[in-house]
Amino acid sequence: MDLLYGLLVGTVMGVLIQRVQASSPMMIVRNLRLENLSIIKFMALTIAVSATLTYTLSAWLPMHFAIKPTHLGVLLGGLIFGVGFALAGYCPGTCVVGAGEGRKDALVTILGGLVGALVFTLAFPALDRLFIQPLSMGSVTLADLAHAPALWVALALSALLLAVVALLPTRPGHRRPSES
Amino acid sequence: MSSPLKPENRPHAWIPLGILFGLLSTASIALFAPIGVSTTYPRAVGELIRLVPGYSSPYLTQIGGLFRAETMLVAGLLIGGFLAHRLSRKPSTAYETPHPQERTPAWRYLNAFLGGFLLLFGARLAGGCTSGHVISGISQLSLSGLIFGAGVFATGITTAKLLARRN
Repeated sequence: MDLLYGLLVGTVMGVLIQRVQASSPMMIVRNLRLENLSIIKFMALTIAVSATLTYTLSAWLPMHFAIKPTHLGVLLGGLIFGVGFALAGYCPGTCVVGAGEGRKDALVTILGGLVGALVFTLAFPALDRLFIQPLSMGSVTLADLAHAPALWVALALSALLLAVVALLPTRPGHRRPSES
Repeated sequence: MSSPLKPENRPHAWIPLGILFGLLSTASIALFAPIGVSTTYPRAVGELIRLVPGYSSPYLTQIGGLFRAETMLVAGLLIGGFLAHRLSRKPSTAYETPHPQERTPAWRYLNAFLGGFLLLFGARLAGGCTSGHVISGISQLSLSGLIFGAGVFATGITTAKLLARRN
């Protein structure tokens, strides 16, 4: 059953990513240049909706939470990932969507990703010792840090994200009175 | 030509799409697991490495094989991209050169390859990518998702701005 859920969630996710143009490297690069913030605002809105609903529903439903551990590799990996994100204009999911659309450079990004995954796999014992084990804090949430109920923290974070989404212009520098 | 179906004429499309993606992320956590993509890459590589006699990798043992829901999710991304593209009114797939340096296709493909390499090396070092750490992670209030997201946008914005400079 989980396999079917996975396929359904992935298919809908692929359609949404294509429709919001997150599978367009040009659109991703425009967002990273801060010329067009539609994808960044899309992500912030997604997180606000998801955080609020997930923690609200968790009062009634068993949710499949999976909090990833915090360690030095999270920051270093994020810094490396950001360079790749800007160079390719794709992330590991959007290049698969782009490949489905028939974009050839998306296939090249997938190939580069497979090679990157291979190098990581081969170097894992050393990387694990150097970057993943040190400063490992385990699975920590903002609710743990704030010593507050998770739902309150989720609502506060969502409110903050929605405020940022509402205040940021979608297209900074694009001056037209009919647009916001 | 001005058509309401053209994306540039729908500047607020991200609002309904973001709400739907938030619902989808919640549904995924309720049904089986938070949305995640990047571990599928080393799992796919692992299916090949396993063919090498006598080689064993502690990492491949840790992440397991390809037969699982997350692999189906990645397959779904391919199908979703195909369907959304086919059902749109755009006649052909765009070939885009996001950076001014990409005057020849070789430059675009080099950037696409190097970018892909760094994306997956970074994502596996961090233990997640844009979906697993940023969307699912921050939705679950995970500290790691916030740290990863801060790192990604710090170098992502810097790199994109540097590449935008015309020499």
